Amino acid sequence: MARDGAATEGPITAEMRAAAEALGWDDGLLDRALDYGYSPRTLVSALGTKLAPSQAKSFLDREPLKPDLSWMDAPTEWGVRAEQADPEMGLTVGDILVGSYGEIPELWTDRTEIARGSNPQEGQEDMGYTIFEKAVVWADSVSDLYERAIRDRWAPATDLGWRSLEALPDDIEHAICQVMTEHSERAYAEATVLGRWLPEVSYGYLEMKLFMGSVIYDLARHAEAFRKRALSNGGGLGLQAPTDLIRGASEARTYPELMAYLFVQDSAFLTFFRHAGDIAQNQLERDLYALVASDRERLMEYHVDRFDAFLKAMPDRRLEQQRYLAKAEVRLAREWDDPAVREPLLLLLGGSRDNAAEGEAALHALRRRQVEEYLGHLDSVGFIRSRLHSGLAAYLEDPEEASA
Amino acid sequence: MSAAPTTPELDLSWLDLYDDPTSAEPTKKGLTLDAIDIGDYASAEDLPRDMTPRLRGAASRENAHRMGLTYQTKHDVWADQCRSLYEEAIQRQWSSARDIPWDTLTELPDEKERAICQVATMLTEVEFIAGDVPGQWLPHISGDEFEVGLFLMTQIMDEARHTDVFRKRALANGGGLLQQGAGLGLRNLIEAQDFTEMSVLMHVQAEGFVQSMFRMGELIGPTQADKRIFRMAAQDESRHLAFGVMHLKHILSETPERREEIHHYLDKAEERSAGGGSGDVTFPPVFESLCILLGGGKDRFDEGVAKFLLLRRRQVKEYLHRLEVAGLGDRSERLGPALAQYAN
Ligand SMILES: [Fe+2]
Ligand SMILES: [Fe+2]
Repeated sequence: MARDGAATEGPITAEMRAAAEALGWDDGLLDRALDYGYSPRTLVSALGTKLAPSQAKSFLDREPLKPDLSWMDAPTEWGVRAEQADPEMGLTVGDILVGSYGEIPELWTDRTEIARGSNPQEGQEDMGYTIFEKAVVWADSVSDLYERAIRDRWAPATDLGWRSLEALPDDIEHAICQVMTEHSERAYAEATVLGRWLPEVSYGYLEMKLFMGSVIYDLARHAEAFRKRALSNGGGLGLQAPTDLIRGASEARTYPELMAYLFVQDSAFLTFFRHAGDIAQNQLERDLYALVASDRERLMEYHVDRFDAFLKAMPDRRLEQQRYLAKAEVRLAREWDDPAVREPLLLLLGGSRDNAAEGEAALHALRRRQVEEYLGHLDSVGFIRSRLHSGLAAYLEDPEEASA
Repeated sequence: MSAAPTTPELDLSWLDLYDDPTSAEPTKKGLTLDAIDIGDYASAEDLPRDMTPRLRGAASRENAHRMGLTYQTKHDVWADQCRSLYEEAIQRQWSSARDIPWDTLTELPDEKERAICQVATMLTEVEFIAGDVPGQWLPHISGDEFEVGLFLMTQIMDEARHTDVFRKRALANGGGLLQQGAGLGLRNLIEAQDFTEMSVLMHVQAEGFVQSMFRMGELIGPTQADKRIFRMAAQDESRHLAFGVMHLKHILSETPERREEIHHYLDKAEERSAGGGSGDVTFPPVFESLCILLGGGKDRFDEGVAKFLLLRRRQVKEYLHRLEVAGLGDRSERLGPALAQYAN
């Protein structure tokens, strides 16, 4: 049904012809396209997208493309309708762990970028992941921890009462600044170390990586918030943090080593921030420490759950873990003795440099709590520390007893 | 029995580091990173960089460990406005669980549900690598440019959310994941050996292509929930893109001699895949599913193809425009063939 010269009649309007001419399309292209079976609607679309003459020709001057559509029948699980378990939380990552999509493989064997549960495309590149074992990275709580992290997010710039800060005695302000300097750096460095492990973990354990993303994000905000506090009340930054602890984390050769090592530090930091209200001088600092502690609760929950699952799945690696814990304990104890770590706390707990003796007792009590809670975390997964490092064990004694 | 901790004499030397009392003032947007970029603590070109974990402005410890090689000049990693992009990222976080109107998902014709699920399958795959890549670079950024590191940490969070939201979409409305479909070109991003190479390939090229697609989300998304997913994700991508464009602009103005080198990275990426590192939209499952969504059904497939061509043109046009803004306007003369056909 070829069209004749009465071009303005029929499905091709004069406007369409004018548009085609303005675009420099071949004379007669519209008519031929219609003959090939394109709908007028498609021609309008093609004109609307202002296809260049060559594109218009290659697209319209032949039979319309027939899609293959074989992907529609990919042999994956179909008909999934995840339900919100808790409307308060919305549609969570936990909610979509349904059917085959909720099966976390003990071993993941696909080396490509594939999304777990989709149908593999042959011939894809190896992306270079190195972690393919569930027991190494997984904790059943990760999906939940991730959604909680998102729900409980906070913004240092606007969620803390910066305008409420009042001048403090120089020694006290500087002691706070030293604590802030130390912990800003520690948080940032920890995020950096964790970040470099992300490209190692395959999509098989996606939910764990999502959670780790939230941990890195938390640590970024901690680094930011501590720095802001140091620079907002007449002080500044102090001496950089000691580097023994973080260096050990960056030396880890495997993810389980890293996690065992960080278990020690993250447990100690969590206890510290839980009780840091004792060194806070104002509401802003109390709020800050409480927010940091609540973020760190999630990280510690992951550590405990992961370590538990790891030890159960790989009991032959139990003894090896003692080494990583020991390495971290030595370094933690050494850093606790560092003057720039210890003395600001003595001042803040004692109230002034003349009252450092009182601060000493309070600091001993804090360190003791840190050691006890650390052992408690290990205990909760049935892990007996064979020989707690003496530098930490010392805090379990009473100060009087110890000095006798 | 272990000895109790001894009480050393107080050293207190750490108290004597404050000759420049600093009191940053909160702004209308709260106490921002820009507000604390002051005095001795401000970002500067000529700081001695020591490769220890020290963050800018803290006093050095003589015995601090080095932690591996970091860039030694600011411009190697810097992007103007990275501080405000960081603050914006913090303020504009959203929740894929609660900020998407999942209850507006309605039963779709099977072909449309399959098409959006195929697109979601591709996107959850693509978004996955976009979090790995910044993680890989964090250790190489000096503490003197910690704001860049902080920004990348927010990107890691953003990309986690993108990975999860597309996965949620595929599993929320009676569908599922379909055919793997993005591999081509993704390796470019993780293969980068230099920060600028990574940033121009990921932030500018790959995320740019993704962004142009997200911006057509109103046409692609069959439901309100889908449209909103694309809108929210686009908001995040615009920060990642802005970082990349600002970094490229900075590096071209500070080190114009790197221009050909940067072109060379783009040459590699453009020849390898039609989508750069953003996944290949011409891969049949992705191409066909997008055409079904854009056209409005498989019986309007050719109409979808016409709109798909528009998407490709938009991707390439916006890509070239961003490069031009960054100072690489001459890219239009040497675009790879897979892209050049859309460049007019
Ligand atoms: Fe993204
Ligand atoms: Fe992105």
